[in-house]
Amino acid sequence: MTQSAVSARAVTQNFTVEGQSTLALDAIDLEIPPGQFVALVGPSGCGKSTLLSLVAGLRLPTGGTLLCNGEPIVGPVPQRIGMIFQEANLLPWLTAVENVAFPLKLRGMPKRERLEAARAMLDLTGLGNFADRLPHQLSGGMKQRVSIGRGLVQDPGVLLLDEPFAALDEQTRMVLGDEVLRIWARTGKTVMFVTHNLSEAVYLADRIIVFSARPGRIVDDVPVDLPRPRTFSMMSSERFGALKDRIWAHIRDADH
Amino acid sequence: MRYLEPLLVAVGVCGIFGLWEAMVAAGIVNARIAPAPSTIAPMLVELLGRANVIKSLGVTLYEVAVAFLISVPVGFFIGFTLAEMPGLGAVFRPVVNFLFGVPKSIFLPIFILIFGVGIEQKIAFGVFTTVFVLILGGISAVESVPRELVTVARAYGANRLQVVREIYLPAMAPVLLESARLGMIFNITAVLLAEIYGARDGIGYRIAGWGESLQMPQLYAALAIVATLAIAVNELLQQLETRLGAWRQRPA
Amino acid sequence: MLRTPRQIRWAQAALAVFVLASWELLPRFGVIPRLFVPSLSEAIGALYEYRAEYLAHLPATLVEILVSYVIACGGGVTLGMLIASSPRARRMALPVLRSAYAVPMVVLYPVMMVWFGLGMGSKVAFATVFAFVPTLLTTVAGVASLSPHLLETARAFGANRWQRILYVQVPASLPTLIAALRLGGALVIVGVTVAEMLGAVEGLGFLITRHRTLLNSPGVYGGIILVLLITSAHEVLLRRLEQRVQKFRES
Repeated sequence: MTQSAVSARAVTQNFTVEGQSTLALDAIDLEIPPGQFVALVGPSGCGKSTLLSLVAGLRLPTGGTLLCNGEPIVGPVPQRIGMIFQEANLLPWLTAVENVAFPLKLRGMPKRERLEAARAMLDLTGLGNFADRLPHQLSGGMKQRVSIGRGLVQDPGVLLLDEPFAALDEQTRMVLGDEVLRIWARTGKTVMFVTHNLSEAVYLADRIIVFSARPGRIVDDVPVDLPRPRTFSMMSSERFGALKDRIWAHIRDADH
Repeated sequence: MRYLEPLLVAVGVCGIFGLWEAMVAAGIVNARIAPAPSTIAPMLVELLGRANVIKSLGVTLYEVAVAFLISVPVGFFIGFTLAEMPGLGAVFRPVVNFLFGVPKSIFLPIFILIFGVGIEQKIAFGVFTTVFVLILGGISAVESVPRELVTVARAYGANRLQVVREIYLPAMAPVLLESARLGMIFNITAVLLAEIYGARDGIGYRIAGWGESLQMPQLYAALAIVATLAIAVNELLQQLETRLGAWRQRPA
Repeated sequence: MLRTPRQIRWAQAALAVFVLASWELLPRFGVIPRLFVPSLSEAIGALYEYRAEYLAHLPATLVEILVSYVIACGGGVTLGMLIASSPRARRMALPVLRSAYAVPMVVLYPVMMVWFGLGMGSKVAFATVFAFVPTLLTTVAGVASLSPHLLETARAFGANRWQRILYVQVPASLPTLIAALRLGGALVIVGVTVAEMLGAVEGLGFLITRHRTLLNSPGVYGGIILVLLITSAHEVLLRRLEQRVQKFRES
């Protein structure tokens, strides 16, 4: 069996606030093979975003082990794991191209090289003409494209997306979703995608992990056997509906 | 058409001066207490040629500059400390807010008791008046840094120094500049007040002197010089603030 | 270490006690020269000792403050509302006001003394000029930052300028008005006091300067304490007004 791209073994996360301890994640076991597109769904507060931030190396788990390609995750490794946030979180004083180049700047790449790489990335995500715009001059969808470009610019093997389209309107969401699938199909990266939107999860993913309410445990692991490339018409198929029902059953029954 | 409004304002200002000139000429306004602009303008040129006037201006500028150069780092440092340390901040912020609301000018006599009327007193009073604005500005600047951006930087591998340089500094710059500009206004006012109240030199001291000896053209000319300099410094800082804060605009 | 509100309040109380105790004890033991900072009890003692004098001069100061308040704050707020009701007027006025705000108005006091002498007139004139532009600027800038939709909607309902100002603009900008009064009021009090300190024949500021020339530190501090009391009273009144306004807005 090939090594997992991301491996979580008995991962537990405890938060202590003002002396009170809350269990956010409870003994998560998860193996994600390379190149798989995994969606994480569950009720609000179930810890899926927390799991993502653990994989990103932004925190250390209070218990258990997290591995990326067999190596323990002890801190952010942007060259191997790229993260895209819900709010695009672009630096408002940098232009689009400078924002995409930002991770490269942190690594010390010289200016001309990194701006070239960033510009290429923007062309890829269809924003070539907006490279020199400031974030306040971009629409929500455009900002997310820049954010995606930023996450991809170091060509990481693993991509983490934390509800990236939640703040966008439905049309933009669908367009960007297709965009992400296109990039994924071409590059074969491993993707972990957190979302609240069940249709989005079924449409995009190979596999859906369903979490319970807090403390988060994995309550279902649903393979999505719809053919690729995915099409809009699939969303009205019976199979699609059945998958959604299966997931919804868990979420509806979870104690909120 | 874009220049219509500034043009109207310019015309308005010229109109006021024209009216003033006319009223003096017609005898409605007593030329001895409010001489016509046409007498003030040549006096202005003459004053700028007098060595002792230039020296006085220099003294004032020196006091303003030194007070500012002391207040800015001290004020910002205290502000950053209060913002970054929640315990200290919670205790001292209401104190700072309260002290900011207390009018500082009334403490001027105390400064004369302690420091006399020399240059050091002007500087001390300037610092006393200005530092609170800058403390509040420092606090506000740190609080204006969006925490999500710090997370982004960390996710992309930034170390502590990089977080400060790439996130904190650009985010804080416009707020710091705005409070510096405001502080400068307070500073100039304080130094001039101190000079008018009691001094041995400085343009404020001269203005008070000309007032006492009823040398009106000199007085008005000096007022014009002071006003112009103050506005110029303010404009300069405002331009910097706009330049560094252009990204703060709301989305179109 | 300092987490809960209770702990913070304790710390602040301790701080206050420490400051007051230092003020009392350090001058007494000669650590700070009494000429610079008399002990707290001496300052308050001076208030009591010279109470007749302070009471005699207080009315002049209060009258000057009141008159200046009406002209500068009342006028500033009213004019500000008028200017703010027209976007064009706002755009033209704001840069001018911002530049005017940068001019140190203190330098105008010698002019006022020439025009109005040493009596109350020069104090009122100076305090008015001192407080007018900041009050005006705060009002106009505050209204400018309101949602434009508000006035648009009013216009869509056919309201004319006066109706828009009275029924929409003023209620919507009450917090701004209070901020303007707070600033303007503080400046009026300071303006009057400073003017009296610089050249007068009566008033609290005049007393403070007189004590200073006689090197009577307790007298100086006593006078300053009085001015601070006036400032605090103003602040308290404004807070009450603010609460009243809050209730009104919630209704």
